[in-house]
Amino acid sequence: MLNYYRIFVISWLALAFPIAAAADTVCFNCHKKEAFSDKFVHQPLANGQCGACHNPHVAHFKGLLEQEGSALCFSCHAKEETTFKQGMVHQPVRSGQCLVCHVPHASFRKGLLKDQLSATCFGCHTKLSPKFQYTHEPYAHGQCYSCHRPHQSVFGQLLKDEPDKVCLSCHKSQDLQKGHLNYPGTLRDCLSCHNPHGSSRKGIVRDILHAPFVQGCKECHDKGEIQGSTQSCLRCHEAVATGMFARHSHLTGKGENKCLSCHSPHAGNEKNLLKGSQLQVCRGCHADTIARYENKLYRHPKAKEGSCINCHEVHGSNRIAMLRGDGNAICTRCHETQGKFTHPVGEKVVDVRTSQMVTCITCHLPMGSDFKYELIYSGSKDLCIQCHKRY
Amino acid sequence: MKYVKNMLSQSAFLAVSIFMVATTSLATEPWAWKATLDGAGSGQAIVMPTALYIDADRQRYYVVDSGNNRLVSFSKEGNFLLSFTAEGKLQVPYDMVRDNSDVIWVVEKARNSLTSINIKAKEILTHIIYDGERTLVPDRLDYKDGIFYVLDKETGQIALLNSDLTLKSWISCAECTSGIVDFKLINDSIWALDQLDKKVLQFGGDGKLIKNFDVGQKVEFPVSLAIGPAGNIYVLDRHAPDIAVFDTEGSFKYTFLTKGWSRGELYFPIEILFDPWGGLCVVEEGNGRVEVFGR
Repeated sequence: MLNYYRIFVISWLALAFPIAAAADTVCFNCHKKEAFSDKFVHQPLANGQCGACHNPHVAHFKGLLEQEGSALCFSCHAKEETTFKQGMVHQPVRSGQCLVCHVPHASFRKGLLKDQLSATCFGCHTKLSPKFQYTHEPYAHGQCYSCHRPHQSVFGQLLKDEPDKVCLSCHKSQDLQKGHLNYPGTLRDCLSCHNPHGSSRKGIVRDILHAPFVQGCKECHDKGEIQGSTQSCLRCHEAVATGMFARHSHLTGKGENKCLSCHSPHAGNEKNLLKGSQLQVCRGCHADTIARYENKLYRHPKAKEGSCINCHEVHGSNRIAMLRGDGNAICTRCHETQGKFTHPVGEKVVDVRTSQMVTCITCHLPMGSDFKYELIYSGSKDLCIQCHKRY
Repeated sequence: MKYVKNMLSQSAFLAVSIFMVATTSLATEPWAWKATLDGAGSGQAIVMPTALYIDADRQRYYVVDSGNNRLVSFSKEGNFLLSFTAEGKLQVPYDMVRDNSDVIWVVEKARNSLTSINIKAKEILTHIIYDGERTLVPDRLDYKDGIFYVLDKETGQIALLNSDLTLKSWISCAECTSGIVDFKLINDSIWALDQLDKKVLQFGGDGKLIKNFDVGQKVEFPVSLAIGPAGNIYVLDRHAPDIAVFDTEGSFKYTFLTKGWSRGELYFPIEILFDPWGGLCVVEEGNGRVEVFGR
């Protein structure tokens, strides 16, 4: 009887004092309201619904939060949960870390951004120079949204649209044509020559120029049938051709000339004229691999820093995953003592499950793992009993 | 009477339960391991196999043992028969077929060649394929009715070659932004897989695109496809690794198999195909074997 009475009283109180009122009167009795006020206030907070995110009594997560990370945000922003899984997804979004860019309560900036837009971006993109000798105007003004989307995009580098279309959204094609009088045909592939952020060259032409490009267009564009094909590059870069005729090669991608999947034929920011940073270029096709491993607890330092080429060949390899050596050689380049006093590895040691040679990567997954030393299974037992079943 | 009624209702309940359990397990694990084609019989482990060729007439499997530069044959029961190295001349073999004249054709990556091996004549010839000035880069290979179907890795298109290796025509997808990575000849159609766009394509015998559908929601890094006896499309995901099954209209049905090194598990798989005996064969480059699964 007493229980029924208690339920009745609690229900009545809940109806009489809705959450809004409760928050206004209760939460702010202790928490200073001014600390939660600014030009833009998160809607639940503005409505006094602290309970939308927090449990006033007890919770599993820090800050008495009902859920953690993006799971909490998506409990209201349900539409975004679906959208933010499509195409290329910004790393913090993929990791469910909304608070890398946003604040949960109130901000002076629209979208509850933590800081000024560019400052928020540069907070993570530390390798980007904030200023160049010649800086693209939107970049100079911190207007990253002029070209990029913050959460996800179907286009590379989280661009708003196809790269050329992004350029043409501000630059009128007639004006551009005047500045490119010798350009054959319709102007296209702006990023092949220009750095969209800035450069030390006028017209934000990328810093490093391809030698034949300096000599004139005919070096590459007057070569009959092979013009535009991969072989137009390989006739000079003969060493690369060897890699193309390996068991696995990167002779793939969009367009007729596969080299252009990764390289710019005209100008670049680095000597190898890559179209972006190494990780950006690799992500163009291997987004799934990067996403799979980036949040693992243990990662090889080189994998963490996005140095794919430390272990993988970029053009072609006869080895699985286009590794630079077999599963031992690749590791012992740095880990010199491994393989000499550890678990036996090498040609004479056979994996009983597959009859393949036991190598470092039989047990380790340098790309990333949730087990210490980047082990494939837990090193306490699960890994060993894969082969040593009697133990 | 009441006792009989109870018995009947209990029996019916039991039958329904058994049926439900059976169908549920079928839906989740429709394929079971049947056989493994490995190097045990030859005394040398298969290393990085890249393709399987099935000779229905001879009832044999041929595994392209790319890492050991040899071709290994097995009976349809999965027993080792022969290991063939072509006098040690093969250089990174990648795929193979046998033509109407009993000549074996091998894609050799290291020589960028479509190499013919005439065993009776003891003749091995390398052939570089040209399209005008341009050299083709052979990758996947198939043969039907006197025509070679060669996937050109550079363009991602399928070249149709006459028996004298002259170029007959191309099969390409104008709407695709990237190239084909695998294909299968099924009846009058050519089924192909567009890796980067993650699309399955069906071409008619005339090379015209009949239809295509997206598999990107269920597959991360598709490398091979096969068409099952019921017409379902099986797409092999190298990185997951698993196999996703779609019906003829492209609706997702289910995914099966997982990453691992033990029997029935996959590590860096590279090709799938159906044999004429109802088996689904998975070539596992990483585990150095071909696993055959049956229903």
